[in-house]
Amino acid sequence: MLKHLLTILWLLALAAPAAAAEQDLLEPDQAFRFSARVLAPDAIEVRYQVAPGYYLYRDKFKFAAQPGSVELGTPELPPGKLKKDEFFGEVQTYRGEVRIRLPVRAAGAANVTLVATSQGCADAGVCYVPHDQTARLTLAAAGSAAGPVRPERSAAESKDEGLNALLSGYSGSPGPGGDDGTIARLFHGELWLLILSFFGFGLLLSFTPCVLPMIPILSGIIVGRGNRMTRAHAFLLSAAYVLGMAITYAAAGVLAGLSGAMLSAALQNPWVVGSFAAVFVVLAGAMFGFYELQLPAALQSRLADASNRLHGGHLAGVFGMGALSALIVGPCVAAPLAGALLYISQSRDVVLGGSALFAMGLGMGAPLLAVGASAGALMPKAGAWMETVKRFFGVLLLAVAIYLVAPLVPLAVEMLAWAALLVVSGIFLHAIDPLPPGARGFDRFAKGVGVIALVAGVAYLVGALAGSRDILQPLAGLRSAAAPAAPVAFTRVDSTDALDRTVAASRGQPVMLDFYADWCVSCKEMERYTFSDPEVQKRMAGMVKLQADVTANTAAHQALLRRFRLFGPPGIIFFDREGREIDGLRVIGFQSARPFAKVLDQALAFERGAP
Amino acid sequence: MTRRREWILIAGVALAAAAAGYAYNAWRTAPEAGARAEAGLAALHATRLPDLDGTPQPLAQWRGKVVVVNFWATWCAPCREEIPLFVKLQKKYGERGLQFVGIAVDQPDKVRPYAAELGMNFPVLIGGAGAIELTRALGNRAGVLPYTVIVDRDGKIRSKEVGVAKEAKLEPLLASLL
Repeated sequence: MLKHLLTILWLLALAAPAAAAEQDLLEPDQAFRFSARVLAPDAIEVRYQVAPGYYLYRDKFKFAAQPGSVELGTPELPPGKLKKDEFFGEVQTYRGEVRIRLPVRAAGAANVTLVATSQGCADAGVCYVPHDQTARLTLAAAGSAAGPVRPERSAAESKDEGLNALLSGYSGSPGPGGDDGTIARLFHGELWLLILSFFGFGLLLSFTPCVLPMIPILSGIIVGRGNRMTRAHAFLLSAAYVLGMAITYAAAGVLAGLSGAMLSAALQNPWVVGSFAAVFVVLAGAMFGFYELQLPAALQSRLADASNRLHGGHLAGVFGMGALSALIVGPCVAAPLAGALLYISQSRDVVLGGSALFAMGLGMGAPLLAVGASAGALMPKAGAWMETVKRFFGVLLLAVAIYLVAPLVPLAVEMLAWAALLVVSGIFLHAIDPLPPGARGFDRFAKGVGVIALVAGVAYLVGALAGSRDILQPLAGLRSAAAPAAPVAFTRVDSTDALDRTVAASRGQPVMLDFYADWCVSCKEMERYTFSDPEVQKRMAGMVKLQADVTANTAAHQALLRRFRLFGPPGIIFFDREGREIDGLRVIGFQSARPFAKVLDQALAFERGAP
Repeated sequence: MTRRREWILIAGVALAAAAAGYAYNAWRTAPEAGARAEAGLAALHATRLPDLDGTPQPLAQWRGKVVVVNFWATWCAPCREEIPLFVKLQKKYGERGLQFVGIAVDQPDKVRPYAAELGMNFPVLIGGAGAIELTRALGNRAGVLPYTVIVDRDGKIRSKEVGVAKEAKLEPLLASLL
């Protein structure tokens, strides 16, 4: 069975580069993967994952927000890497991951559309035009202590707006940013969630086959054989043991955070990140039982001897036993612990490392406390299910490996990796094995989870191979093809005279003029993805829709373009009820349905506001 | 169901899904690409852009020459790297019917001092967002600069190059077309 799984994984690994090698240069959205999230009611974090071999210019970022009531402060740009450029002198660039904190002041606006403009190049010797990426965020009301909102991936990209901004003159580069962007601040608000997760992992670790059966024995040793004592005293002793263990783990976490902080530059290196991911895969293998990872037996027994010399029944003694026990890393705990420490070193945060590992230690000790307090009444029965817990950690470690390499590989590869992980996990959960008659509730539940994982994995597989490059909506690409909407009926205009006549005849109705050409890719994308959207169509229904097809590029076409100071399509111009162009509302370049619907709303609202 | 049949089934479904996804992708992108390239060439010949004085210049005026259309910008470091080579080749082969045309995706007042500084001895036109669209239509899918298209005397595209041009490759190609 395992052989088959490995074969499939291998085949997927082979298929991935084939899908990725379609084009040598990445599309800007893949070269500079963008996301944004709300850190606090007054701060947004913008994140770029720059693919290896690509870089962004530090002084070319520009941020804007909609609606206008939202004010953005000076972006806090971390220091970049100095690059000597024979033309521009010393410029600062970003590679790998960049996080930019953006102070924001919103007067009551909950929904914010953030437009981030960036410009970068590839080491291959090409540059991308300034590129706009958009994220929609929900800000908590100012003053309330609401936590951060789930990060949103960039949902829409209007590709050439940044270019137009450039052509109409930059408003200069953003000011110098503070460089105190520590991880601690990035985890602001999320810290408790992380600590809670580590506590949960610790608890789960205690349910693995090499820990759980030991707990009652351990409890006996701690309390001290032959001693009769109250439950309160037993609990206190257990607590001392657990505390000793948790503090040792915390120390390990602090060390991991420190080493990460010292190696921060190296940790940006794709090779280092790649080998970290490989280590995670190796660790995962141990959890699936391909091999065992643990401290050398000699070291383990030496530690055990030291522990045995300490006496149970005394607070200081059991505290020391706990501290030593954390160092005796058994086969079930070794891999997840190493994974946790690697993860912490990636985060490069000492406080986070210490507290997360402390929480994990507490989690691992929780069953011991329960046993101490309840005198063994509150113990789950050991059984085959503990193997499942162990495998769960294997899947978790693989997931972390994918998460680590995600910024370094094309999105297609990432999607295929998730597909492989989900499908294989689903199979392991007996998604396609028939349930035996009279199956237990747990088996049925596991099969249900397995089927979900399998279906989700297949969705990623199909989506990735169908050219979809969206982690959140792997099948979105298929949807638009499956249900093509009726094309929008445009009235053709071919000259300025025809335009004036038509606009004059449509007095009382808003007018939209779309410049189009057969060779204009953005125009086709607009047609396919934006005009076909029901929300957009609903709004466009109330408008006179004109289209100038300038493919032939006749003198009349050029006059038409010149009149609107356009060099060529794509471009959408709006006119008010009086037939005057609505200033500042033109759409240049591709815009996806939701932002475009907002522009249409503004055009319609402008109408109502006009005298 | 036996193990073996199960695996054949899984493999079959996986292969079918993969094939369907791949075919869908191919169907979605392939026929357009050909038509797009045709339309891109037509658009290139029909392009008319303002020069540094604001006078519109149709690209069609250089028909019959070997035309090297170079899309560039002053903010693009690699683009600036290759321009001295173009100046040199224009000087060397101009009389034999070679015409470089620069299309700057930039602002005129940024381009003017730069063109003067480098002694650019060929026309520089100012392109807008449409210029990048044009390169996309010509096959520059990622929309990057520099992008260079070489059109022969018959108006056919002979070379499309992303990135900095190399003298060792460019000069023999141009010489063979002249």
